[in-house]
Amino acid sequence: MITFDNIEVSFGEHVAIPDLNLEIAEGEFFTLLGPSGCGKTTALRTLAGFIDPSRGEIFIDGAPATHLPSEKRRVGMVFQNYALFPSMTVRQNIAFGLAVRHTKKDETTRLVDEIAGQVELTDAQLDKNVAELSGGQQQRVAIARALVLKPRILLLDEPLSNLDAKLRVQLREQLKNLQSELGITTVYVTHDQEEALTMSDRIAVFNHGVVEQVGTPEEIYNRSASEFVCTFVGANNRLSPALVSRLGLADRPSYLRLEKVSLLRPADAAAAVPLTGTISARAYHGAFSTYSVDVDGSDLRVTSTETGVAPREVGSSVDLFVDPRAVLQY
Amino acid sequence: MAAPYRAMLRSPLVIVVSIATVWFIVAFLVFPNVNLLVTTFFPGGQFSGRSVEKLFSSERAMTSLWHSLLLAVTLSITVNVVGIFIVLVTKYFEIRGARILFLGYATTLIYGGIVLAAGYNFIYGRYGFITAAVQNVFPDIDPNWFSGYFAVVIVMTFATTTNHMLFLSSALAKIDYQTIEAARNMGASTGRILWRIVLPALRPMIFAVTVLTFLIGLGALTAPLVLGGSDFQTIAPMILTFSKTSSSRDLAALLAIILGLATIIVLAVMNRVEKSGVYFSVAKVATPLQKQRIRNPLAAAVVNVVAWVLFVIYATPVLLIVLFSFLDSTAVTTGVITASDFTLANYATVLGTPAVLRPFIVSVVYSALAAVIVVGGLLFVARVVQKYRNRFTASLEYLLHIPWILPTILIALALIMSFDKPNPLVGGAVLTGTTVILLIAYIVVKVPFTLRLLKAGFASIPDSLEDAARILGAKSLFTFRRVLFPLVLPTAAAITALNFNSLLDDYDAAVFLYHPLYEPLGIAIKASTDGENNLDSMSITFVYTVLLMIIMGLTMYLVYGRSGKAQTGKADGRRSRRVRIAEVPTGAPVGHTPDEPRR
Repeated sequence: MITFDNIEVSFGEHVAIPDLNLEIAEGEFFTLLGPSGCGKTTALRTLAGFIDPSRGEIFIDGAPATHLPSEKRRVGMVFQNYALFPSMTVRQNIAFGLAVRHTKKDETTRLVDEIAGQVELTDAQLDKNVAELSGGQQQRVAIARALVLKPRILLLDEPLSNLDAKLRVQLREQLKNLQSELGITTVYVTHDQEEALTMSDRIAVFNHGVVEQVGTPEEIYNRSASEFVCTFVGANNRLSPALVSRLGLADRPSYLRLEKVSLLRPADAAAAVPLTGTISARAYHGAFSTYSVDVDGSDLRVTSTETGVAPREVGSSVDLFVDPRAVLQY
Repeated sequence: MAAPYRAMLRSPLVIVVSIATVWFIVAFLVFPNVNLLVTTFFPGGQFSGRSVEKLFSSERAMTSLWHSLLLAVTLSITVNVVGIFIVLVTKYFEIRGARILFLGYATTLIYGGIVLAAGYNFIYGRYGFITAAVQNVFPDIDPNWFSGYFAVVIVMTFATTTNHMLFLSSALAKIDYQTIEAARNMGASTGRILWRIVLPALRPMIFAVTVLTFLIGLGALTAPLVLGGSDFQTIAPMILTFSKTSSSRDLAALLAIILGLATIIVLAVMNRVEKSGVYFSVAKVATPLQKQRIRNPLAAAVVNVVAWVLFVIYATPVLLIVLFSFLDSTAVTTGVITASDFTLANYATVLGTPAVLRPFIVSVVYSALAAVIVVGGLLFVARVVQKYRNRFTASLEYLLHIPWILPTILIALALIMSFDKPNPLVGGAVLTGTTVILLIAYIVVKVPFTLRLLKAGFASIPDSLEDAARILGAKSLFTFRRVLFPLVLPTAAAITALNFNSLLDDYDAAVFLYHPLYEPLGIAIKASTDGENNLDSMSITFVYTVLLMIIMGLTMYLVYGRSGKAQTGKADGRRSRRVRIAEVPTGAPVGHTPDEPRR
């Protein structure tokens, strides 16, 4: 469906993306994940046609699209700040692309009403000025405006980053459901690993313009291909050389996900290495607590579900179990 | 060819705008000023220092240079003392009646220049009301007591605190209140906080305002002309005098060049200092400033008394002008007013006599035409300059700022001297002596201010809006018309209003360039101050002034008052969003701008 073939993007002397190669399948929810300034938005804007790559080709549906004007690529885009036209009402915003195409009035009304229903915008909201809407409502308008032209591809540039935490979770689910319903190929840019893991079919992790790994959320999390991916996605314990040696592993940078350290003897006890440490701190999170345990010079963090049992005291000794197969080494 | 230029050449509209802009720059910004330099230093095609010799041998000219410098230095001190004080009492200290004080101090926003000089002259001058009233009690008093250096400094001090009211107030509001709270928490007194925390934070702005004040003093025209008398004449009135005869026109040009050079040097210094960094607040989340109570009762009493005395000084001329506009000029000049003297006759004369109303109409037409043309034209130029960033557009932008560094007097003189014979740049026409040349001057002087604000207007529109329109299939012109223009329109309207206001009572350009049959308001007002024979026109001038104050006050309300309310008032999404995009910086006073300080 979408191919980035040896794409290079430079701004003057600065090379933002040196050599990007990606394949995105039809109907896929594909996420470009990475920290600020890693090149993910540049890749998205190149796909949208706002940036001309200095080298390489972009193919959409097998046809070259590198030099195609953005309006001819049949892509819809939701911008980070939504880019709603402040001088227009919600209806006028959604109908803007239809007006450009001289769509008849009746047809425009029908299409706008239809898409408004899909993104749960009411008739009353359609006649308001966009500035009168809440952030969540504005985001729906931006999505409706992008979808009303029935694009083949939907591009989303950090569309949830301006919303509060609770609304972000709610809209995350709605956005994923809408995408599944419409089956539209979606390229989503975010720096939020949780968003990427919960919404995506596949994720490309960017670092300094280079894709470090492409894979399903499970692959990215459990089999992180590089030290950067491992540390950027999910929480980790970095193991000290002494602990790595005790686990019988080679002396390399080693990481262990928090949930892979157990305070209880696991079912597969034969594979687990028992360790003893001292609790140095406890952080209460409500549903669970995180303990910091000093083991052989490693400050191992371990999560424990709050079951009503009295919490362990700071300074007390504790037994831990680690399966060396769960350790990620680079 | 580089990509930015290719993109420009793809649009016919951009090509037309570029060609028109280049012509305007060459014809009206570069050629006249270069011509002025050439005429002064290369008369007859060869270098000559004759004009410099003439300058050094002319005692009047050298004295005027000294007077200008003296005035500039004096004002830099007096205006700062008064200006900082009035900003502190209205915006920093908790003073009872601060809003009323503010209204009094803000009167200079709605009247200044020739109107203000004339107003003070009619009140304190030889034939002024106060002078006449005092003479009735003390007949021996010198009727010319309010003239010369002292009068010019007094009038200009109170007239030019406008920049403090606008810029220093704005800078004060940006101080992070938490820094003051932190100082107090550490035991600092009110005075110490003011001296060690507040004033140092304001120092860059005080410096900028001082530079503006210095330039205002250096190029002052109307106040020395009306109130300076024969003993205190500065460069600008000298330029005017010398330019009237062809034998001394080179001297006028040289003085204008000196004025221009001084302006350029002072502005360059200011730019350099500004670039060294200004930080009003380093806080991520700054806390709004809260007014401070003066804890020492004696200090509080002194501050209150001085504040109200200043209020009386500021408000008296305005109130008297309004009052006198309803009086016969005889009552004013004799200093004796009775209830029966009040009449609407002056208003009837102005509004009912075409010949009397004519200067007002002429100024309104000139100002409106110039304001609309400059904004209409620069709307496209600003868009091109903002969208296509390359060396060509950067050069256009720099060149369009030429009027910013040159005094209006120099621009006017250069225009007169450059278009007094057929000129191919304007289709072989002679412009000097026509009605068009004043319009051109008005457009020229308004270019930098308009361009800067319009460009800021376009820049405040997020790029993503244009990207969104583009991805939805809109072409550039459609995007400009439907998306960008509605957003920049409030800014454009505000700039038009501000330009209109500032040109309405212009004297500096008009005195050089006006057509005798179409005398603008500034000239008519100045004429009314010219001695005993013109006393009848004094009342007419009062009416003109009241009408001007009404128009300027209205513009002020429309541009600042409404937007201020929208920004701070009840959240109305539509209004607040529009205003945010159309925001006119507080750096744009109603009548006069930092680019073009009132002289």
